Amino acid sequence: MAEIHLEQLAHSYAPDAPERVYALQPLDLTWQDGETYALLGPSGCGKTTMLNIISGLIRPSEGRVLFDGRDVTGEDTRRRNIAQVFQVPVIYRSMTVAQNLAFPLVCRGLPRARIRQRVGEIAELLGLSTFLKRPARELTADQKQLISLGRGLVREDVSAILLDEPLTVIDPQMKFELRKKLKQINEAAGVTMVLVTHDQNEAMTFARTVIVMNHGRIVQSGEPQELFECPATEYVGTFIGSPAMNFLATVPREGRREVPDLGLGLSVPKGEDARSGTWTLGFRPEHVFAEGDGWPLRGRIRRIWFEGVEQVLEVEAGETVFRAKLDHARVRTGESVELRIAPERLALYRDGQRVGAGYD
Amino acid sequence: MRTLYLALKYLAILLWSSFVVFPFLWALSTSFKTANGVTSGATYLPWVDYEPSLLGWESLFGGAGGINIFGPYLNSVIVTVSASVVSLVLGTLAAYGLSRFRFRAGFVKNGDITFFFISQRILPPIVLAMPFFLMLQTLGLLDTLPGLVIVYIALLLPIAVWVMVDFFNNVPRELDEMAWLDGCNPIQTFLRVILPNSLPGLVVAGMFCLIFGWNDFFFAFTLTFTNTQLLPVAIVSLNSSVTPWWALSAACLVSVAPLLLLAFLAERFLSRGNLAGAVR
Repeated sequence: MAEIHLEQLAHSYAPDAPERVYALQPLDLTWQDGETYALLGPSGCGKTTMLNIISGLIRPSEGRVLFDGRDVTGEDTRRRNIAQVFQVPVIYRSMTVAQNLAFPLVCRGLPRARIRQRVGEIAELLGLSTFLKRPARELTADQKQLISLGRGLVREDVSAILLDEPLTVIDPQMKFELRKKLKQINEAAGVTMVLVTHDQNEAMTFARTVIVMNHGRIVQSGEPQELFECPATEYVGTFIGSPAMNFLATVPREGRREVPDLGLGLSVPKGEDARSGTWTLGFRPEHVFAEGDGWPLRGRIRRIWFEGVEQVLEVEAGETVFRAKLDHARVRTGESVELRIAPERLALYRDGQRVGAGYD
Repeated sequence: MRTLYLALKYLAILLWSSFVVFPFLWALSTSFKTANGVTSGATYLPWVDYEPSLLGWESLFGGAGGINIFGPYLNSVIVTVSASVVSLVLGTLAAYGLSRFRFRAGFVKNGDITFFFISQRILPPIVLAMPFFLMLQTLGLLDTLPGLVIVYIALLLPIAVWVMVDFFNNVPRELDEMAWLDGCNPIQTFLRVILPNSLPGLVVAGMFCLIFGWNDFFFAFTLTFTNTQLLPVAIVSLNSSVTPWWALSAACLVSVAPLLLLAFLAERFLSRGNLAGAVR
């Protein structure tokens, strides 16, 4: 187990090209020992590249990787003692389930009795005990993925477990179980886990810290609640949450930016010029409510759909369209409504970046 | 409609099978004939069409005017098997390297090296005959088994490399990466993870080596005189002013037999152990 520190790390797959294209922009990042992290972002944003650099499958073109302060940038994968689970299960077809699970320990030359004991424990934990003698290739895809995972867990001294979208091949019910299991293992063994995913729910329910990436850059990192409540950029607001956060176009008015159709606006923080740049007013559909104290949002309902037991209303007011997520409003398409929002839930974004603390 | 389709399908298979099997049946029938039986028109059934005789088979085992096939047979087995085993071992190692590691010397890269191996098979064999002859002569290995083994390795190695490079390129890289993550060094990765998963490739490459080695006549003929005769040369030596069809047929069956046996054995491995599913 180790604290992992990425120092001025950057990677380009074609470092000799005249104009460097980075798969991973220069970044600094520390992963604390025993924590759970999620790397969230669209395909091709550099998540997998970052994992492969940590496990040593890729040498970074710039920067250093430190485990507990020890520079491992030049070290082979096998010396780093990292477990990694890939998107598709990788198993050793010629071996039985037990041999698969034992393999990392056999490679390290542990005594036989100890290996047998560990394999038994891990198989028990993952519910693979009854399959131990079966050839691994005969199992189903999710069982194979459990084997991949088990090979990571079987080492007690593993530095970290990197999970590269491991739940993609697994059916939804099993996914939930497995996520729970991973959490349990993290709590029991205190091993650092990093989950790469493009599924926000997976990220938000699994990790204590979520790192949102886009175009090889870390956009925001923080606790799930924080990312949801205070997205640092429009990108994060759109990527996290369903439906996406509302970002409404604004016009300048006496040091404020206002949404003309709604008569809703915020003062621009001191030192900012309300007249330059593109400003939007952001708020979560979840923060809109039907009645009570708050600023009014008047408009006509254009569309209604359900997400679970909740209703999503698409409301138009002149040129402006926003969405609201309500428990159960007794409304119909085409009706006029007056909804409300607490002013402290509003925030201004200038050129895609959050500005100031919001309402004051 | 479906019945018609099936009927046509089986008809096609039947026709093709008879086309393939017929030469063997013909050889089998001929091997039991005498000169009279061969020249008196097309006859097929022993005892009915012609009187069977063991003349052809006797001439393979020291009968009058024949040869003793045991010596050449053993020579062929030794040369083919040892050359195939060495080629397979060296070729598999080379192929894994070419598939997984990047080599570079100036403008020469992995693909060029792989092509260099196979390019040796593009040369007409006759071009190689003279150099091989002179080299073996200089080394004092002309007309010896070790000399032949060396030449056959040179012939078979490109086949092993070519087949195995292609095979390893289709083995998912994740398997190697997983082995590294599990703590294997490159040699352990190869021996413990990749090789056990490569049985189908090894079987195909091994088959090719054995077939090419076993069937070669040209080098067996040019690089030997009397001491170390290989099977194809021995069979040809049966020929005389009157073609002994009966003896040639018997010899042909005897020489094809091990390859047939091999094909049946290998077929089981090929259909059983495909690699699909190592990842996924």
